[in-house]
Amino acid sequence: MSEGISERRPFHRPQPRHWWAHKPYLAYTLRELCGVAVALYGAILLAGLVCLWRGQAAFDLYRRVLGSEASLLVHLALLAAVLWHVVTWFQILPKTMPKLILGGRLVPPRAVTALALLLAFVCSAGLLAVVIVIGAFA
Amino acid sequence: MSETMDRSKTIELRVLRYRPASDSEPVFVSYRVPYSDDMSVLQALQSIKDSQDGSLSFRWSCRMAICGSCGMMINGEPKLACNTFVRDLAPNAATIEPLQNFPIERDLVVTVGDFVKKIESIYPYIIPKVQKPIEEGAYLQTPAQMAAYESFSDCINCMLCYAACPQFGANPDFIGPGAMAMLQRYNADSRDGGRQLRLDQINGEDGVWSCTAVGICSEVCPKAVDPANAVNQNKTNSALDFFLRAVRPQAKPEPRS
Repeated sequence: MSEGISERRPFHRPQPRHWWAHKPYLAYTLRELCGVAVALYGAILLAGLVCLWRGQAAFDLYRRVLGSEASLLVHLALLAAVLWHVVTWFQILPKTMPKLILGGRLVPPRAVTALALLLAFVCSAGLLAVVIVIGAFA
Repeated sequence: MSETMDRSKTIELRVLRYRPASDSEPVFVSYRVPYSDDMSVLQALQSIKDSQDGSLSFRWSCRMAICGSCGMMINGEPKLACNTFVRDLAPNAATIEPLQNFPIERDLVVTVGDFVKKIESIYPYIIPKVQKPIEEGAYLQTPAQMAAYESFSDCINCMLCYAACPQFGANPDFIGPGAMAMLQRYNADSRDGGRQLRLDQINGEDGVWSCTAVGICSEVCPKAVDPANAVNQNKTNSALDFFLRAVRPQAKPEPRS
């Protein structure tokens, strides 16, 4: 085998350039992109804090901007992006943690995802309820 | 003749062929293959080799999804040819290509040398915590201890996860999902003491840190090994190892020579 001329000439196929734009990778690409939406929403909240610190006039302006139609549309789009981020992130959650073994049995990854989603929903609904109650008495 | 034996139906298979002695680059060649309902893509390829073109090259051995030899891209998805039925692809034409992200040796045969080296690099055997003579009996383990690594021990080295991994496609030196599943199979084993030795192999960009949690490796795995879990658990382990390096004891278990 070692004698003679080798006809080996391995061919290197390039990776498809737009792999991230196609199934099954598109869901992953969107999940990562939605991280930008999370950061944007964080920036909006931070801007509110800065306005609060600068005084009454600045904070009133911030609230007027928030109440505008454009702002409502932006918030709807951000909400959709954050929801996608939450769902897809919790789908990958069981892959990022050690295997969960309860009573000598493996907890199925789907149960971990379902529990995390339920927790996120309960916490969000709870926070919303608290804000509404505080708003009603303010 | 029963319905399943009826071979009056045919399917067009577009096979990516590369003959290094004569082709400058791979080209698609079409074959029309009679098939029955119980026929796998591997059997269809074998029928091409038997009756149409004896020079068509592909790897196979067990025909029952346990040897991991016949991985290929079927309609763009990494699959085992023996585990994919022709009836599920028909009546449309189907494309058959060698595994993505690997150099092509010839037709559907890819180069596996780098993958084997990666497997070797992570000490793929148990390095006992405590060496004991045979007279003292077996190393015991509870079902719960076994559940911690069992899925990872199901890996058949078929490399479908590598073909599905865009980060391995971008960086061929990335240790990749399969080798990490193997690593976790031993690191999570209660009888093993070689954890530090293996962790030393996977720090850095070519180790776990090329992974961006795409997760498709686990979806294409024919054995439900969940290699993405193995990689991502070890990001935590690798990070902890980085910060605890200064305080951990330096004694290492001796590898098997």
